[in-house]
Amino acid sequence: MRRDQMTPHERLTAYAAGAPVDRFPCVPIVGNTAARVIGAKVGDFRGNGALIAEAQVASYRLFGYDIIRIFTDLYTQAEAMGATVCYPEDETAYLAAPAVADLSELERLRPADPYRDGNLPQHLEAMRRAVDAVGKEVAVTGAVTCPFTNASFLVGADRLARLMMRSPEAVHRLCGLSLETNLAYAGAIIDAGCTPSLTDAMSSMSVISPRQFREFSFPYLKRLIDYIHGRGKAVTLHICGKTAGIWDAMVEAGADCLSIDNDADLAEARVAVGDRVRLMGNVHPSEVMLQGTPETVRAATRACIKQAKDNPKGFIVASGCSLPTETPFANIHAMLDTVREAGWPAAV
Amino acid sequence: MSEIKAELFKRLSDAVVDMDEDKAVAAASEVVERGVDAYQAIERGLSAGMERAGQLFDEEEYFIPELLMCSDAMYAGMDVLKPHLRTDGVAEKHKVVIGVVQGDTHDIGKNLVKIMLETSGFEVTDLGRDIPPDRFVETAKEIGASIIALSTLMTTTMEGMGAVVQQLSAEGIRDRFKVIVGGGPISQGFADRIGADGYAVNAADAIRLARSLVGQGATA
Repeated sequence: MRRDQMTPHERLTAYAAGAPVDRFPCVPIVGNTAARVIGAKVGDFRGNGALIAEAQVASYRLFGYDIIRIFTDLYTQAEAMGATVCYPEDETAYLAAPAVADLSELERLRPADPYRDGNLPQHLEAMRRAVDAVGKEVAVTGAVTCPFTNASFLVGADRLARLMMRSPEAVHRLCGLSLETNLAYAGAIIDAGCTPSLTDAMSSMSVISPRQFREFSFPYLKRLIDYIHGRGKAVTLHICGKTAGIWDAMVEAGADCLSIDNDADLAEARVAVGDRVRLMGNVHPSEVMLQGTPETVRAATRACIKQAKDNPKGFIVASGCSLPTETPFANIHAMLDTVREAGWPAAV
Repeated sequence: MSEIKAELFKRLSDAVVDMDEDKAVAAASEVVERGVDAYQAIERGLSAGMERAGQLFDEEEYFIPELLMCSDAMYAGMDVLKPHLRTDGVAEKHKVVIGVVQGDTHDIGKNLVKIMLETSGFEVTDLGRDIPPDRFVETAKEIGASIIALSTLMTTTMEGMGAVVQQLSAEGIRDRFKVIVGGGPISQGFADRIGADGYAVNAADAIRLARSLVGQGATA
């Protein structure tokens, strides 16, 4: 097996400069799978930044991928604004109830203080600890759930969808409040020595139309990205599901790298926006990474490299979305090994 | 069909497609006043409109917010018409138990499938979200369901679908029910692996699947 010749920092810096590298950057998006690496229970991550950092750093060391992302679930900011999150003992947390049950309660909502509210302080703690441990060799990012998606957790997805038609101003208010939380949290993430990593599940064309994306999601997303750029950081934006109709808008919002979901076509993305943004993706997280064998992972990884290795603005081999908790280690190793074998420029 | 009836059915259908609850209620009230058959008005008016909305969704003209608004208009009209349904002579409907599996509260997809199933003439019992496997089984037995429909958006909760199939097998009643699965991380391969009877990629596909599993029509 070929060994890595560069640290992730060296590799990504050289890659961005157009200099030779030892292999493609590779990011199987490890979330709660990190718990399995240290034999912890997913539920133990709640309010325990030290444990999140320990698991994420151990996972990075085990697999050798190129970006660490501090992430447990999508709900941390909504929780800090009053949503109720359920924490099963050993599975990913989920939204039990939105922050407001009734529109009349909208007035009560306040932006979250990342240093005080919910589990945000512990996530920041995890970021600081990960940076302390391995920040010299690898970038550490902190997951930020973007305004429109966070807004859906404040009132519930069904209600937000109806409000878009019945009371657009309420949706704008919710997105605006979410943006304020996002800006404060993104600032705190950068102060912790990390880069915000943007996730916007509900902005997908699997949910809303490109026109609705323009009206309700784009303006807030753009302000968030502008802020992060102003702090000197590049932005990776992940929107789940189908996105072909909004790639242009995602680029216009300022994203430097689009993380393409497995429901979208990587080759198509390369043709459409590859001259303007870096792409990452898009091995299927459940069908291939969770349920597949190392052999199917190898085939799928090679297929992704083939589709996007010539992308003018660069390519990161990645899973299409966060990996399921129980993804077999052998499959994650197989993704990295395939990328190592392919080398640079990739022979696939 | 008289012109008046045809015009009323079209108004109902259009009200659904136009997402207009008031128009749906007005047209439904006129159906009642004129003594037009409520069952036909639902089937050829409201349901037909929902089917058109489903086509617009397939064509990416409509998205989830529009479909939800269409269904609100459909149910508003339905509320007016339901008390006037004649119970005699209407064939018994196939029953479906639907819900989001335990550990997941994403229910927009499930709600859409439920709406489309009802539109297609199935009688649907909606358990809601975050539902443990045994509740699916118990409810299916209780109401004599033909189909158990399981939904999840989360890879973390997929395995709960397999647990439903296993429990049916353990109780020796697997062949009494058809189990169908759907949701973001689900695939045909996953459905095969857990021994489900079918997988649907979206709401429209779920209706085709449900219909084919119980024989052509939705009625028993």
